[in-house]
Amino acid sequence: MSDKISYSFSESLIKRQAEAEKQMLAEWKSGSYTLEEPLIKLNPYLINPLAAVVLFTTEEETAVTVTVYGKEERGNIVHTFPRAREHVLPILGLYPDCENRVELRAYEGRSREITIKTEPLSKDAPKLCYMKTEPEYTSQDLIFVTPSLNALATGFDYRGDVRWHLTVPVVFDLKRLKNGNFLIGTERVLQMPYYMSGLYEMTMAGKVVKEYSIPGGYHHDQWEMENGDILVLSEDPDYVTVEDVIVLLDRETGKVKKRWDLKDCLTPGEGPSGGYTDRDWFHNNALWYDKNTDSITLSGRHTDSLINIDYETGKLNWILGDPETWPEERLKYFFKPVGGGDFDWPYEQHACLVTPNGDVMCFDNGHYRSKIREKFRLNKDNFSRGVLYRINRENMTIEQLWQYGKERGEEFFSSYIGNVEYYGEGHYLVHSGGIQYYGEHASEKPAALMKDDPNVRAESITVEVLNDKVIMEMKIEGNFYRAEKLPLYHDQENLPLGEGIRLGEMGVTPEFDTLIPMEPCGELLPYRYEAQIIEEDDRFTFKAIFEGGQLVMLMLENEEEEHGYFISTAKNKFNALCCGTFIENDPRSITLSVNKAGLKGTFDVRVIVDDKKFDTGIQITC
Amino acid sequence: MLKEVTQEEFRQEADKGLVLADFFSTTCGPCKMLAFVLNDVDKACGDKVTIMKIDFDKNKELVEEYGVSGYPTLILLKDGVEKKRMTGLQQKPALIKMIEEEA
Repeated sequence: MSDKISYSFSESLIKRQAEAEKQMLAEWKSGSYTLEEPLIKLNPYLINPLAAVVLFTTEEETAVTVTVYGKEERGNIVHTFPRAREHVLPILGLYPDCENRVELRAYEGRSREITIKTEPLSKDAPKLCYMKTEPEYTSQDLIFVTPSLNALATGFDYRGDVRWHLTVPVVFDLKRLKNGNFLIGTERVLQMPYYMSGLYEMTMAGKVVKEYSIPGGYHHDQWEMENGDILVLSEDPDYVTVEDVIVLLDRETGKVKKRWDLKDCLTPGEGPSGGYTDRDWFHNNALWYDKNTDSITLSGRHTDSLINIDYETGKLNWILGDPETWPEERLKYFFKPVGGGDFDWPYEQHACLVTPNGDVMCFDNGHYRSKIREKFRLNKDNFSRGVLYRINRENMTIEQLWQYGKERGEEFFSSYIGNVEYYGEGHYLVHSGGIQYYGEHASEKPAALMKDDPNVRAESITVEVLNDKVIMEMKIEGNFYRAEKLPLYHDQENLPLGEGIRLGEMGVTPEFDTLIPMEPCGELLPYRYEAQIIEEDDRFTFKAIFEGGQLVMLMLENEEEEHGYFISTAKNKFNALCCGTFIENDPRSITLSVNKAGLKGTFDVRVIVDDKKFDTGIQITC
Repeated sequence: MLKEVTQEEFRQEADKGLVLADFFSTTCGPCKMLAFVLNDVDKACGDKVTIMKIDFDKNKELVEEYGVSGYPTLILLKDGVEKKRMTGLQQKPALIKMIEEEA
């Protein structure tokens, strides 16, 4: 019988990667690796099993072209690295469970074919249903999907073969930066259900170059400004309301330079959607900065509208949505439909964007498809679509120019996630990432809360449309928050070496003001609660299972101080699950993360459960 | 003053000054925590408000009458007229602020 609950220490991903890279480089330096006999390291950054690094030295400076051979010629992934004597080359786009053939060819020189054997992917790799493309569809681009349920971030090629995959649940939007890296949400949950500690700036090989931690955390979307700073969807660190704050991060320091609180330009409760709650009143799921108007467009799912605010002042410029139920004084911000046709407003939409000529696109989930409860449409009778509107800000009119998806009905219906991408006039991607069936029809409840139910079928359909012709359609099992089309390689530094940098801070975890007056009972927290503590260098996470209705509070105590953190055991704790990746199968599971910031000293961790205060046997030093 | 009441007792006293009604359930963790918060609120401003705890499951008529759909739900009444409503677990400063605004 142990005298403490389960405990582990988890080193940061950046630290673990730095150690792995150091060992790899030391091995290379200690040997005589040439183009003919290079050092090959599969998955050197620990989280991308379909990436390798090849290291060798050439006598003269030379450019090297890498060809990862495809299953057919069209599937070859080719990239030329600039002149160098010391070559540390990321090999991207390997097939899983395969003896991959890779050619290394020096400029006007010799070549060498090597073989890289990969392992099969885990069960958390998404399963392809089908991929249909036109012959001209390029092999160098992959369709990347990011998780919403259990499956992990993955890239598929034109055949539907997996060529990229991460084994940690990084989430939400994967957006490429001007330097070729991409930004994505960390796997570190700050607050359930999906408020993450911040963002990783990552290479395609899976190396974290920078980790940004943010007070109030990150959710849904981010945007790189022209000077490199990053706009991030965040929230108040006290979480009284959620998903209603935007922050501007300094790219070099990670510090918050500017902050917008949407409660300053809207009043919670105005124009509520079917999914509205007092706490998650806006549910901001996308942002887009438009330098032409120096404004930010945001997607407020729980107001059924896109809003546009002035970058400098935060003042409301316009609202794109159904004006029904909004108060009279707001109506001047709304557009009036013109042009007739098959016009419809978006409902509980996602992923807004502004095209170069000022048109506005989004993925119209259509959930409820009304603001009036009596008119709510069932999911099985509903549709989702990508939609393009032309707005006129002078006379406040709006015209619907294009849509895709309505004609497919419930087969393409996603109640809760999805996105659109703009590649040029008439060339768009529409991703219906949250298709959920229960039996024969679209499910009326979220699949994240029914993960073990055999009647649930979750799917994701991604379509690329060029001049109204579908040139690519991919269907995969599972739900995926967004899809993006990107090439693996880019023309800048594909693998910067050196330890990644951790920037910013998660801030102080809010405590509960009222403490429960109670002495420790002297007993260890019983094993039936399956409690565990995972410590990291900047926080610890408490996980356990409690019955609904139990009173639970985690305490940090020493002789001078006590800190209390209330843990809700209420049923239906979460209602808007754009990312259910971190929801445990057991609905009684709880997760509480406490940051070390703001705490100083060594604390006993105790847990109050109803009328007893138990010991955990664990001490945390902050 | 803080006390648990039946719906009959509540009706008799609801229109007397400032009353904070707490619709709770014994099967709800946040409701149990709120009880400790309300004790503190009572200590801080019990002279300005009467806090009445109403068991959601035992007082269905009152629950329906006040349109309470979940617990915990807090309703602040002034001379019987609803002034503010909060749902879910609340912290002490928010409750004291609400009471002092109406006191």
